[in-house]
Amino acid sequence: MEQVIANGLYLGAQYALIALGLTLIFALMNVLNFAHGQMYVLGGFVTYTIYGQLKLPFVVALICSGVTLAIIGALMEKFLFRTVIRRSKREESTMLLAAATAFFLDAVMLLLFGEKQRGVPKIISGVFISERVILPYDRILVGVVAILMIAAFMVFMQYSRPGRAMRALAQDRVAAQLMGVKVERYSMIGFALGAMLAGVVGGLLVSITGVNSGIGGPISIKAFLMVMIGGAGVVGGAIAGGFILGMMESVGLATLREYGDITYLAIFALLMIFLSIRPHGLMGKPWG
Amino acid sequence: MDALLKFEDVELYYDHVYALKGVSVEVHEGETVALIGANGAGKSSILRAITGLRRIRSGQIQYQGKRIDGIAPDEIVRMGISMVPEARRVFPYMSVRDNLLMGAFTRSDKAGIQQSMEMVLARFPRLKERYSQQAGTMSGGEQQMLVIGRALMARPRLLLLDEPSLGVAPKLVQDIARSIVAINRDEKVSVLLVEQNSRMALRISNRAYALTTGKVALSGTSSELLTDERVRHLYLGGEF
Repeated sequence: MEQVIANGLYLGAQYALIALGLTLIFALMNVLNFAHGQMYVLGGFVTYTIYGQLKLPFVVALICSGVTLAIIGALMEKFLFRTVIRRSKREESTMLLAAATAFFLDAVMLLLFGEKQRGVPKIISGVFISERVILPYDRILVGVVAILMIAAFMVFMQYSRPGRAMRALAQDRVAAQLMGVKVERYSMIGFALGAMLAGVVGGLLVSITGVNSGIGGPISIKAFLMVMIGGAGVVGGAIAGGFILGMMESVGLATLREYGDITYLAIFALLMIFLSIRPHGLMGKPWG
Repeated sequence: MDALLKFEDVELYYDHVYALKGVSVEVHEGETVALIGANGAGKSSILRAITGLRRIRSGQIQYQGKRIDGIAPDEIVRMGISMVPEARRVFPYMSVRDNLLMGAFTRSDKAGIQQSMEMVLARFPRLKERYSQQAGTMSGGEQQMLVIGRALMARPRLLLLDEPSLGVAPKLVQDIARSIVAINRDEKVSVLLVEQNSRMALRISNRAYALTTGKVALSGTSSELLTDERVRHLYLGGEF
């Protein structure tokens, strides 16, 4: 039991970070970023290259993952999404653009890194063993770093000036503009921040599960699951959705093992029932 | 004396439908000027043109002697023009405090912002009571006080108010009218007020313009307009 909860918390912290980035981009720009999983994978490959290949410290690799993805996110916003939003009044346009970006990133990564599963040396070895819980130290470290990052993100959004501006922008674009918020600048900052979060989680997890160029799509789907559970565009919803999915996965893996690999089948079925009762998720607002 | 704001022969269209057809309006330093008229007469379009939310087709807008038409909304605030938008538009999931801080977004003088915060809270004690409450959960009147306070946090020289009495309980309309007068007097802010409640608007303003279908039909001092037969007939009949 304790083991299942520990696994769920560890997974949930990673998931929550991924969902936070996705929901931030959605709340600010009304863009469903289908390429979020690919950004995560790219972050993983950056850490793989710098820590695994170039043998530089893990922290350096992690920072590089974050910075690289922040730059890519900012560029994507400035040159792709901003222009499409300006020219097209239809929301499908940005969805198609996001999907195309996902395929493009998939192809680029396949070209650069191949299709092999890539792993890196353990960041710390050893296993924490108590009567009821067994957890490798590196998982504990990665979980703690993820939780610290969630806390830092929330403090930033809640108390900093740019955080406040982004919340204002998400709640009422026109009113935010009337307060002097430069919409384009803060959309770019938000997109960069969301992409950065995805990249950092990718970098964190490469040290445990490794990375390969094909997992971007599945990660995106998981991220959308979490956001749907918690409610789109809400910070608390993304965090709740992340931990709920992590916990469900952990419980599913522990209890449904003898029936084969049906955990996600069960999760999808549950989610369909849940969404038919609460289409806006746990904390979602009717207006999205 | 030169006008603080000069709105000269402005035409404004929404797609192919005109909203303003050659409108000229002036606001002088220290004045409260009212724009009255029926729904769709173009009152709010004037405010949207000043704040840069809408582009004008022809004519020009001058503020402190400089042309400001074509400038983006976030720059207009920095020049000292604050807008209280129609239907209030608080940031619903932010606290009263954060809403007010957003009003001071363009400023970086911490001590000054603190001073403005105290001034606003003293002027609207209700906001002090609700300081940490989510703005979206407050009553219409309280939200109206909040958006006026939020606009003042930018320390404007010109305050634009779009229908501040709309959706506010009749009892509170008096309070809001009184605070507009007090703000104009104490904070040395000139006010351009758009109102459908013409009687209230004419009582608290120095001068007024009456608009019909995108044109200024009448203008003059507010006390003149209050007793003008045509105004009585067109705008004041039936109210109260």
